[in-house]
Amino acid sequence: MLFQSHDHPSRIDRLQLLALGGLLLVSVAFVYSATMVTPSAVALPWYNQSWVHQVLWYLMGLAAAGVLCLVDYMALARWSYVAYWVTILSLVAVLIPHIGSTHGWGARRWIDLKFFQFQPSEFAKLAFIMAAANFLSRPLEELRQPRIFWKGMGLLFLPFVLILKEPDLGSALVLLPTGLVMMLVAGTPRRYLVRLVGLVGILATLFVADIFYLPVGWWTVPMQPYQRDRLAIYFGCDYTHFAPRNATPAELQRLRQKELNDAYNVRQALISVGSGGLTGKGWRQGTQNALGYLPRAVAHNDFIFSVIAEEEGFVGSVTVLALYAVVLFTGLRTAGQARDRLGKLVAVGVVTLLFSHVFINIGMNIRIMPVTGVPLPLLSYGGSSVLVSLIALGLMQNIYIHRKGY
Amino acid sequence: MLFFDQFKKNDPQLRLLAVLLTVGLLVLLAGLWWVQVVSARTFQNHLETQSYRSIRMPAVRGKILDRTGTNVLAENRPRYNLCLNWDVLRGQFDTAFGRARKQALAVQSNRIASAEKTLGRSLSKAERKQFVINSEQTQMLRAQARWQVANGVVTDTSRRLGEPIVLDPVKLERAYATRLAMPYPILTDLTPVQIARFEENFTNGLGADLDLQSERDYPQGTTAAHVLGYVKRDDSSDAGEESFFSYRLPDYGGISGVEGKYNDVLRGTAGMESVLVNNLGYKQSETIWTQPEPGRNVVLTIDLDIQRAAEAALLQHQGPNARGAIVVMDVRSGDVLAMVSSPAINPDYSQNNPTRMNDPILRPEINRAMQENLAPGSIFKTVVAIATLENGLNPNTTFHVEANPRIPNHGCYLLGGRVIRDEAPPGDYNFKKAFIHSSNSYFVNYGLRAGAESIVHVGKEFHLGERTGLFANQETRGNFPTLEEVRNSQWRAGETANLCIGQGEIDVTPMQMAVMVAAIANGGCVLWPRLVQRIEPLDPVTGQGGTNFPAGLVRDRLTVGARNLNLLRAAMLADVEEKDGTGTASAVPGMKVCGKTGTAQVQDSSGHETGRNLWFASYAPYESPRYSVVVMVESSTGGFGGTICAPIAHDIYQAIVKKETALPGRALATRN
Repeated sequence: MLFQSHDHPSRIDRLQLLALGGLLLVSVAFVYSATMVTPSAVALPWYNQSWVHQVLWYLMGLAAAGVLCLVDYMALARWSYVAYWVTILSLVAVLIPHIGSTHGWGARRWIDLKFFQFQPSEFAKLAFIMAAANFLSRPLEELRQPRIFWKGMGLLFLPFVLILKEPDLGSALVLLPTGLVMMLVAGTPRRYLVRLVGLVGILATLFVADIFYLPVGWWTVPMQPYQRDRLAIYFGCDYTHFAPRNATPAELQRLRQKELNDAYNVRQALISVGSGGLTGKGWRQGTQNALGYLPRAVAHNDFIFSVIAEEEGFVGSVTVLALYAVVLFTGLRTAGQARDRLGKLVAVGVVTLLFSHVFINIGMNIRIMPVTGVPLPLLSYGGSSVLVSLIALGLMQNIYIHRKGY
Repeated sequence: MLFFDQFKKNDPQLRLLAVLLTVGLLVLLAGLWWVQVVSARTFQNHLETQSYRSIRMPAVRGKILDRTGTNVLAENRPRYNLCLNWDVLRGQFDTAFGRARKQALAVQSNRIASAEKTLGRSLSKAERKQFVINSEQTQMLRAQARWQVANGVVTDTSRRLGEPIVLDPVKLERAYATRLAMPYPILTDLTPVQIARFEENFTNGLGADLDLQSERDYPQGTTAAHVLGYVKRDDSSDAGEESFFSYRLPDYGGISGVEGKYNDVLRGTAGMESVLVNNLGYKQSETIWTQPEPGRNVVLTIDLDIQRAAEAALLQHQGPNARGAIVVMDVRSGDVLAMVSSPAINPDYSQNNPTRMNDPILRPEINRAMQENLAPGSIFKTVVAIATLENGLNPNTTFHVEANPRIPNHGCYLLGGRVIRDEAPPGDYNFKKAFIHSSNSYFVNYGLRAGAESIVHVGKEFHLGERTGLFANQETRGNFPTLEEVRNSQWRAGETANLCIGQGEIDVTPMQMAVMVAAIANGGCVLWPRLVQRIEPLDPVTGQGGTNFPAGLVRDRLTVGARNLNLLRAAMLADVEEKDGTGTASAVPGMKVCGKTGTAQVQDSSGHETGRNLWFASYAPYESPRYSVVVMVESSTGGFGGTICAPIAHDIYQAIVKKETALPGRALATRN
């Protein structure tokens, strides 16, 4: 490779850093493009503008990652259960009304620290990876014991259930593949995993069938109405399906209108991405965001990919995908070169977590995944997400620095 | 390489993960390819549909000018409307709504507080709900805020203009819902004084602005109304034009007359403006995609002075409810110099009284110069005269007319058992005397001798029973027997006798008669009448897009000999000049008028007279004919062509003489 020759092997993974730098630049450019569209946003003093905040989060995240690289990840791993239980506590805290903040979105996901809207679920993902890596890096014989397997499952499902309770379906869901892949790589016997995947698959199928295909009035999975609606939109199911049997035409009409409104984001995101075409409309030339069709509240965070895709077209989308691919595959390389199973598992966990985010987020922009408020790591605006992603990549560098042969 | 290295690893788990990642990324890549490359067009269309509104911008309609090219018969008048611009007011709407919401929230927390006080505990979530503003109330607050702001602007404007303006809240909300990208008119058709006041008082934008539209205007009032026709509001797209528009600005389409026939030319090509709107529908910016191409001017052959004189003459003699028509034609070129139909209508169609328009007797909308089947009566004797003279009639041979046994001072003609009445007295008649007294007996006698076939033959040369082609849908072809019909054994002598006096199987229009007289006057050329001289090009320098219609297109030539034609002309001159002629009332000093009067009875099915078509068909001057004037009046109170129509023709000729002497050395109706 260009930045790495066998004669002078580098201490750090430069290729990954380069891709990371590319993503950061893209992020700042498009947070700028997505937010600087209203006169009020433009009129804000520079230090209050979103893109400046984003730069600040990057600097903080890079600093944190740099500091983490100074300590061997083995030393860090010793603190992993502490970090795990702290985040579990914060996940419990966020559910308590006067501590957790809803931001008016109906879901209780934030802890308001005045200067920072702390989102425990983001940090929980990282803490889970560290704890699970630590837990799974035990001898292979132990992994074959059902007791250990179920303990591992407990490690996964505790944050999963708490995050689901917020509710934040997307963040909860990304834990599943992450945990599964880590178990797989750790060497958990196949039969456990196959059963687990089968069980989850059957549950998911029953769940969808229950919601959409059983007559109203039967028992249904308890769910927030908005979650059910999002799934209904994804599965193309009519809202009127949920209407009581004696619904008046006016009520049915209202449901249809609601469906139209709820499908709005998805439709607008799809129009943004599609209308970008091959080469896009140019930076800050996208109309979907500027004219407010793409809701301003989500354009710079969950739907930033729509803005990029509209303004830079297929070429831009592929560039973003390529940058992610570099980050992911360098991560895999790190996993392969890791000094021990702990490092390998952390690297695999981070890679899977990043990939799940990317897949769900981009997938929802092109309607192959349902809308679940999952940020696009490193690109979406938001302190918690940026910090966690950068810290995770810092860990990756840490593992690379301490790789085999060094 | 980084990518492929991951598949060569000696670690099955990591290899599997590499495969999974690759598959996932490829799925995304394929999805993006599908959305952004394969379906890009579809989504771009979606985008356009939701964020662009197209507006049809009508072109400025072309003018209609008289033959001088300077007198305007139809043009456009700017019409200023005072409008509210939604996009300008949007900020004020938001501010007003913010205030109202604040108040509502204050009220809400007060009510919750007082409710908690009375209960002595804090409210549960469900109890709270009944006090909280719901989305419907929010919508209402927004609508109220809009109304408040709009009404404020309107009241302010109204005060400054000194003009009461009423704003309808229902209409306002409907416009907000459906026409947000368009200005909302609050006061239409401002007077110049109001415009001046507005311009003085509103130097900076206050949300109200002037909007310019163009409206069809007929500066000559009802003059030449039937020639001009009228327009109706018609915003629809022309053939070959973009057919879908979000909004259409008012446009007009010609319905009848020149406005109708030359609508395509006059209307021009509409342009297209596109307005970019935001997600709420407010206008963000506008771009003109295609400029409208203005309509072209149509120059008529009508002479405004003669047209006015003809209308005035008919009005003065017969009043506004006269049912009549006048055609004045240049006998050398076929140019229609005047075409009058009475009762007059207003080309500004909405100004017409609907009950009058629907009157079954008056039928003002009918162009009587071309659209009515009329029995010609004795003016048809010109044709019969040609037929009999061509058949070898010696004009000096006298024919004795018997007295009518019932009315002794009137002549009559006996055909089989039937008595054909005659207004002329009994006695001896030669050709000229018979012509100027309009003796039915003489013409029936010699007409029968010549035969129906030869009369029809001459009539065919004049193209009677055929359209002149001026207006496709507003012209009757009249009614004239064919040669086959008269050769048929069904054809009776009585029908030929009727034909000889211009009754029975014959109907004509004044326009056909004008062409006929013109042919007699100009030496036998049956011309295509011409009403439109030219269509003016948009760019007078290049002259592209203009059309000149040639004058004096010959449709047919009479086969009549010059001697016989001269005999007829002399007889027509005598009808006016000799003191016992029927058309003496038309004589004017300074111009020798030649004419023939006609009085045709209109009978109902039982043979009772219901009215008369009175005619005077003429041309002048005798020496070098230039004008043919045909006057027709439908009378329900009797009268004769010579007493009713000839005086009208007299006034028209007088006006022509006056006009010609006012322009010395320049004959008016010059050949183009």
